Amino acid sequence: MRLGRDGIAGLIGLAVSLLLLPQALSLPKLPIVPVGPGFYPTIVFVFLGLTSAVLLAQDILAQRRAGSVGAAEIPAGPPRAYGLVAAAFLIVAVYIALLPLIGFRIATALFVAAFQLALDRPRTPAQWAMLGGIAVATSALTYLVFETYLLVLLPRGAWTGW
Amino acid sequence: MLDLLGNGILTVLQWKYLLPLFAGTFAGVVGGALPGVTITMTIIVLLPFTYGMEPLAGLAAMTGVYVGGSAGGLITACLLGIPGTPSAIATTFDGFPMARKGEPGRALWLGVWASFFGGLVGGLFLILVTGPLAQIALAFGPWEYFSLFVLAMAMVAGLAEASLIKGLVATAIGLLITVVGTDPIGGGNRFNFGSEFIGGGFPFLPVLIGIFAFAQIMTDIEKMRQPGAQGEVLAKRPTLSVSHLKVIGEIFGRPFMFLWSVVVGIVIGVLPAIGGSAASVLAYDQAKKFSKTPEKFGTGHPEGIIASEASNNANVGGSLVTIMAFGIPGDAVTAVMLGAMTIHGIQSGPLFVVQHPDLAYGIYAAYILAHPLMVLIIGASTFFVLRLTSVRLAVLAPVVLVLCVVGAYALNNTMQSVYVLLIFGVFGYVLVKAGFPLAPLILGLILGDQIEINLIRAIMTDDNPWLFLTRPISGGLLLAALLSVVLAIWQHLRHQKRTAGEEEADF
Repeated sequence: MRLGRDGIAGLIGLAVSLLLLPQALSLPKLPIVPVGPGFYPTIVFVFLGLTSAVLLAQDILAQRRAGSVGAAEIPAGPPRAYGLVAAAFLIVAVYIALLPLIGFRIATALFVAAFQLALDRPRTPAQWAMLGGIAVATSALTYLVFETYLLVLLPRGAWTGW
Repeated sequence: MLDLLGNGILTVLQWKYLLPLFAGTFAGVVGGALPGVTITMTIIVLLPFTYGMEPLAGLAAMTGVYVGGSAGGLITACLLGIPGTPSAIATTFDGFPMARKGEPGRALWLGVWASFFGGLVGGLFLILVTGPLAQIALAFGPWEYFSLFVLAMAMVAGLAEASLIKGLVATAIGLLITVVGTDPIGGGNRFNFGSEFIGGGFPFLPVLIGIFAFAQIMTDIEKMRQPGAQGEVLAKRPTLSVSHLKVIGEIFGRPFMFLWSVVVGIVIGVLPAIGGSAASVLAYDQAKKFSKTPEKFGTGHPEGIIASEASNNANVGGSLVTIMAFGIPGDAVTAVMLGAMTIHGIQSGPLFVVQHPDLAYGIYAAYILAHPLMVLIIGASTFFVLRLTSVRLAVLAPVVLVLCVVGAYALNNTMQSVYVLLIFGVFGYVLVKAGFPLAPLILGLILGDQIEINLIRAIMTDDNPWLFLTRPISGGLLLAALLSVVLAIWQHLRHQKRTAGEEEADF
């Protein structure tokens, strides 16, 4: 049986609700409240399970209909740069991981530079200089505004102490 | 009421409030004008700057963003043919053709003045209606609140997107996020799997910022390699000088159409999570249907611009009514405002106007004053804003993401909120790619705790579950919720008949 995008989402929703439902039911009741802390979550998980099951069923029916009619050719949409999205997420994740290690100022400058590099690689020395300038300026300006004027203590690096 | 409003205006006219209001309105105009940057994104970026401000200063800045952003989209819609925000799409239909015909100033200023007057009428509604509505809501018991929240979620799930079931699943996911952490009744831990990280639950704002900001930015990055997204730019720098009296006369020469567009905007604004884009398109459609010259629509007809922009800005007033009277956010922008209020220890809802009249009337005043500021800002900086639209995504995206990280971190100065931001950033993007609407999820996320608290309170007061149906207001609200779902199913079936294929989901 082939599942579409909605079917997979429905299956995940159903699995999550079935996984959490026994936990909700096993939560101990409180002495003064007629219903325990698991009462409302049980309703939520049942709701999630039912709606996910309907989504799954809809998708299975849609796939069967498509199979019996014959797969129609879906016109190709404009190209989408999913590789860039993956790279962008990876850069953000590395940035967040590095923040407590090398501190806000260095991590932010590196992050902004890496992000620009991934999305639009500079070709001329002037463009490289611009990339570096934007990276340093973003880090310096956000640090200045938040630490100096808004009194937000931004992360210091455990490795750099800066 | 007038005394309080006068005091509110005098308060907001002080520099410490006027400056944030001006900055917010300016940021809103710029953010609204930049294609791909929504008002929600602008308000998220501005959020960390408001943490250290007084509550009224922060809320004034956010109100400025909302008003400025709702009008800012028309700059690029009229002059570049690219709507800066989804709510300016209908403005493009006639604004850009009018500009191409050699009347860019008329197109721009028709939109600006329609936004101005539409927004002010919306403000009048906000001031007159919020108090009485809140008074009605004060008489609500936990049964009515529970049913009201259920109605809000049913409407959002049903009306926000074509697929009702996906809207309902998204709502359930939003509710599920809120049950993780501390039980609001007994205070015990639940569903944290022994992890301290989620012991206290997921903080609302990092979840909201992660879901919206990442979904938006990553969807924009996806399209970076697509050709021809620049739109058709006017051949040379146009002159925008125009007789303002004449333009205002054009708006008031069509009083019925103008007022009807404003009513459409307000009503759509009051209904949760439908938003300015639906308001402007619906008002445009209505104006075309009622017009004596419907064939002129789409060719640079002033009525198209007036209807779209008047409705779009009146929508803001309607959205603010819902949040101030009931504590239910009308859209993502007011959801962020609600989060900001929570940070300052202010509980939005029916008691808000009574307990914090200075703040409530300060918001009204900020809303009113944001309109002349918006006109001044657009008048003075249109060409500067147009230049900003050429900023590359490669530069804009990392700067916005840095501000999102700071916004999450500054909430409680811990990295935990930043990790939550990343987790929900990935999750939000996956949901968007799977075709799930985000608005029902956010509403579920915001209302989840309140629904649980009111449900338990109702049961603790009287364990008869039929009271939810037999109490007239509660029963009426639940009936309306049911009707809303039935209507959505009917619309969905009609939609299925009309469309054969399915497009790939976008943010």
